[in-house]
Amino acid sequence: MAAATDIQTVNIIVNGIELAVPKGELVVEAVKRLGLEIPIFCYHPRLKPVGMCRMCLVETGMKNPQDGTIRMMPKPAAACTLPVSEGLVINTESDALKKDRKGVLEFLLINHPLDCPICDRGGECPLQNNTLFYGPATSRFIEQKRHNVKAYPLSDYVTLDLERCIQCARCIRFTEEISGDSQLAFRFRGNKTHPITFNETKFTSKFSGNVIEICPVGALTNRKYRFRARPWDLQTSEAVCLNCSNGCNIWFDHRAGKVVRINARTNEAINEEWTCDKGKFGHDYYNDEKRLETPFARTGDELQKADYATVYAKLLEAFHGDNTGMILGDSLSNETYITAQNFFTGQLGSHNIDYRFSANQAKGASTVDNSIASLELAKTTLVFGTHLADDLPIVFLRVRKGWFNQGTQVILATDRSDEVSEFAAHTLVYKPGTEATIAKAFAGQVSVADAAAKCGISEPELQAAITAAAGATVITTTSLNHEAAEVLKALDGNFNAYPTGANERGAQLALACDGLSALEQLKKAANGELSALWVVGVDLFSVGLPREEVIRALENVDFLAVQDSRRTETFYYASVALPMTLPAEQDGSYTNCEGTTQQMKAIIPPVGQAKPAWRVFEELSIRVNPRMPFSQASEILASAPAFA
Amino acid sequence: MAEYKLLLKHSDDPATQTLAGYKKAGGYSGLAKALKMERQAVIDEVKTSGLRGRGGAGFPSWIKWNGLPKEKVKPHYVLCNADEGEPGTFKDKMLMETAPFQLIEGMTIAGFAVQGDVGYIYIRGEFIDAAKALRKAIDEAYANNLLGKNILGTDFSYDLHIHLGAGSYECGEESALMSSLMGERGMPRLKFPHAPLPTVSGVWERPTLINNVESYSCVPHIIDKGGEWYATLGASTKNSRGTKIFSVSGHVNKPGNYEIEFGTPLKELLEMAGGVKGGKLKACIPGGSSMPVIKPDAVDVAIIGYEEMGEVKSMVGSGGCMFFNEHTDIVMLAWRTAHFYANESCGKCTPCREGTRWMVQIMDRIVAGNGQKGDMELLTEVANNVEGRSFCALGDAAAWPIKAFIRQFPEEFEYWIEHGKSPVTSKEALALVP
Amino acid sequence: MAILDKIVKPMIAGLGITSKRLGHSRPTVMYPEDKREQFPRTRWRHVLTRHDDGLEKCIGCSLCAGACPARCIYVDAGENTEENRLSPGERHAVRYEINMLRCIFCGYCQDACPTGAIVLRKDFELANYDREEFIFTKEMLLEPALSERSK
Repeated sequence: MAAATDIQTVNIIVNGIELAVPKGELVVEAVKRLGLEIPIFCYHPRLKPVGMCRMCLVETGMKNPQDGTIRMMPKPAAACTLPVSEGLVINTESDALKKDRKGVLEFLLINHPLDCPICDRGGECPLQNNTLFYGPATSRFIEQKRHNVKAYPLSDYVTLDLERCIQCARCIRFTEEISGDSQLAFRFRGNKTHPITFNETKFTSKFSGNVIEICPVGALTNRKYRFRARPWDLQTSEAVCLNCSNGCNIWFDHRAGKVVRINARTNEAINEEWTCDKGKFGHDYYNDEKRLETPFARTGDELQKADYATVYAKLLEAFHGDNTGMILGDSLSNETYITAQNFFTGQLGSHNIDYRFSANQAKGASTVDNSIASLELAKTTLVFGTHLADDLPIVFLRVRKGWFNQGTQVILATDRSDEVSEFAAHTLVYKPGTEATIAKAFAGQVSVADAAAKCGISEPELQAAITAAAGATVITTTSLNHEAAEVLKALDGNFNAYPTGANERGAQLALACDGLSALEQLKKAANGELSALWVVGVDLFSVGLPREEVIRALENVDFLAVQDSRRTETFYYASVALPMTLPAEQDGSYTNCEGTTQQMKAIIPPVGQAKPAWRVFEELSIRVNPRMPFSQASEILASAPAFA
Repeated sequence: MAEYKLLLKHSDDPATQTLAGYKKAGGYSGLAKALKMERQAVIDEVKTSGLRGRGGAGFPSWIKWNGLPKEKVKPHYVLCNADEGEPGTFKDKMLMETAPFQLIEGMTIAGFAVQGDVGYIYIRGEFIDAAKALRKAIDEAYANNLLGKNILGTDFSYDLHIHLGAGSYECGEESALMSSLMGERGMPRLKFPHAPLPTVSGVWERPTLINNVESYSCVPHIIDKGGEWYATLGASTKNSRGTKIFSVSGHVNKPGNYEIEFGTPLKELLEMAGGVKGGKLKACIPGGSSMPVIKPDAVDVAIIGYEEMGEVKSMVGSGGCMFFNEHTDIVMLAWRTAHFYANESCGKCTPCREGTRWMVQIMDRIVAGNGQKGDMELLTEVANNVEGRSFCALGDAAAWPIKAFIRQFPEEFEYWIEHGKSPVTSKEALALVP
Repeated sequence: MAILDKIVKPMIAGLGITSKRLGHSRPTVMYPEDKREQFPRTRWRHVLTRHDDGLEKCIGCSLCAGACPARCIYVDAGENTEENRLSPGERHAVRYEINMLRCIFCGYCQDACPTGAIVLRKDFELANYDREEFIFTKEMLLEPALSERSK
């Protein structure tokens, strides 16, 4: 980044007020320094300006540097595309401009259906707002409005209403410039122009939810939110998305205790203002019908509703010493990990408390040198053994932004080509299982020829990629082959093994992991060597292990405690089960892949008798060893040196 | 003054469509002369000639030529705008079909002057014959070392390609043309001061020179005979030099392309074309359908010249001069014009996309007999909101004629709105009704 | 004398007023047997009206809920399908509830309604014995279809 002194400024005059602004800044941004607002539709600060909607017209002129006279231009100019230059004169308020804005809004509205009462955007719509502030009160248009497709399902998530569209191309530019899939484009011309996917195919972008948010009208709406609420019905709270480890900041919109939609919340350091579809549309589990509402205890073959006291007694009876184990999910709060460790090791005396199902998730190799934001400044990036758009979607957007804005050279090495290969300078598709060999080739430990033969890559390609990757910033995940990770870590450049579990990073920090790993515990349980197993916040059937192994482990353990938010498959094997709150129902903190710890407050009331997992551990803990328990999540975090 | 045939000198002689014939008629002496000159001297010669862009805007050509970087870093491109789409204009078509070598020579000289590497002729999709003629001529020029590597033994190398458009009026706008040439959607791009000039960052973000067919065709003559000689043509006008081809059409006895010196009265052009056919003159659109219409009294006094035409509130434009006799229904003419521009709007900006359609709808209503009081004011108001607010000049082109029709012939609009039928009821006019 | 002045005269005067009033019409109505005619613009109990073809006017837009100063309206919307069409257009109300305990009968909901679906009519007998009964559901608020009304 350039030092502050390097920024060249120019002097401009806005509404008669002189001010110095950075050279080349757009007028629409420059006037914000005076607290002025120019109405816009097509302009978006994160997209390249196009000047299509003509809403932002301003009067411009030039000040003569010799005699100081001002010569105004005869025509108004679009503020969203005009960079400032020395002596530029801008007028944002005048009678002529008021008329121009009225004219543009009248044009936009003549073919707009004005079905605001049933439009999901109604109430938070830039077109409504601008019309209220700048538009005409009545229309002079008495002709037939343009009719077009309404409520067309563009994908499972996005509905397209072409009558409402004002052809601002924000969605098109998003897919071209930010997500890079270029799935949307204009079709036809003149007043028939409209955005659509090519040949009306399904809109399969992994970031399609963002176009809903940047659409300035209700043309692109959320299918999952369709007709579920109006903006004034909603309560909105700050939250963090916990569907992957990126920790995107989100607005959590809820109505009567139910989550209805997720919107992106701006955080320049993490997600800017984007979300991925997994995060935006993947919060249905809050309203799941299978939510666990009360504790359960097994009587014979039946799981029956029980109270906490009964279950607590059974738990304390079953869990003692190293013959018992606890498996934690990787998306629990830091407080849960801290109290679980204290309780299980400190009070119950077992070291078998772990979250790792993969042998590769060694604790030491999970170095992270780069924050997410700094990835866009890297000169060369080596994406190794991960499908970024799926595993770390926001990291993917940053890497792509770096390539798009300042030409980061991206080298991709994975087992199949993916979204990154669209812009990668070199794409190496290796045979699955040969990660270590190719990593060694990058480190010069194996000859290029041997590695190429073994991995199924052509030798010149590999050689070119290795040459280009010198000093590259490596991006991979903690699930990468352990050997490959060690080799790549030793290379010159920065090394980032980002965890993929939502709070895997927090688990790394909070848990000692000095006993059996989760995988080893399951193996031991399958052999009947574990007397009791406690599973917290994870469905063992969905962690990628063979079903038979999991079933064998669950059937051969004497006592199985399941603590989860919903009735998962594991739940049906439980001896006792405890309901657990979800992140939005409890206070808690979560550490994302780059190591930023973010707080989350209880937003909606817990379902039934569900309790935060840490509270359960605290309540059990004082039963073993009476003391003053922690009553707030913040106290727990403050007590842990790892999060200081 | 009479016709002055400079560009159309050989257009009646098919022999000049071969290289040998063209050379015999004096062709390629301009290029030979230019290649011996300094590059800057060639540009200065164009400056001396006072050549202004013939595509419609009348921008001094030399400024563009001089604007390309003298220190070449990236490849330079030379573009020829042969997407002649203005209704009423058909001069470029004729120039390409009958004098293809003249254009090629002009583009080669331009390429030499601005250190161009590659030239593209963007031809309107419908001009198949013109593209064929040019294809043949370019092949012949390549075979005779007039294009390609080391032209005429010098170290100047230059390639020339033809690109056929897909038939969009908008692609005649220079930035839309560049988008289309690059394979993008034919929509205009940001222009100075919002973005760098094409001479700095044009097609493929490289320095680009873009001119009209007629402008390039003038260049061999300017170089061959000297800029000063060229500047003597049209010296009577304020700031228009040389000759201009007018495509005369409409109700005239001899429609066709007429090349005249600047400074010729418009009335003489009408006489050259054999006068008005089938009645008295009612209206004239002097520069292509996007230019404001003028009435006979203005035709009598109008002098052809970029500034001079402004005195009668119209423009030279691209030279598509249309005359209409007294049996013409001006409202139907406005209706047809409005339809053309609504159909050709690219849809990029709001005023043009929505405004042109609205104007069409109002015109449709008027000619369907459902006009209302206030429609004229509304039309003018809509046109005002389109004019100057649109992204490119297409909005202006759609608004100007409508405004001018209403300004010049308000009584005809009033009659239509009041009576729901045409004020022109002569037998000749009724014969035109389909 | 004193008796005449202090007792008899006032009694006669009082009876005089009574006898004068005997000829006036009676303002008291025998509620609940009789009910007073309400003024034309009286705002009492809400009714969700229908179009003549029986479709509901309510499109579930929640504007009434937004306008309500007492926050007593709750609307849940759903999408019309070919099989299940309750209102014209895309959207209808699935749940429409008014908490009559909170309602202040200001009529803002009626003003806000873009389709004229919710109207406040003259039925003022809203008393009940059970608090739960004051939540008026969509079924209670919806006026019967024209065809059913004639029956």
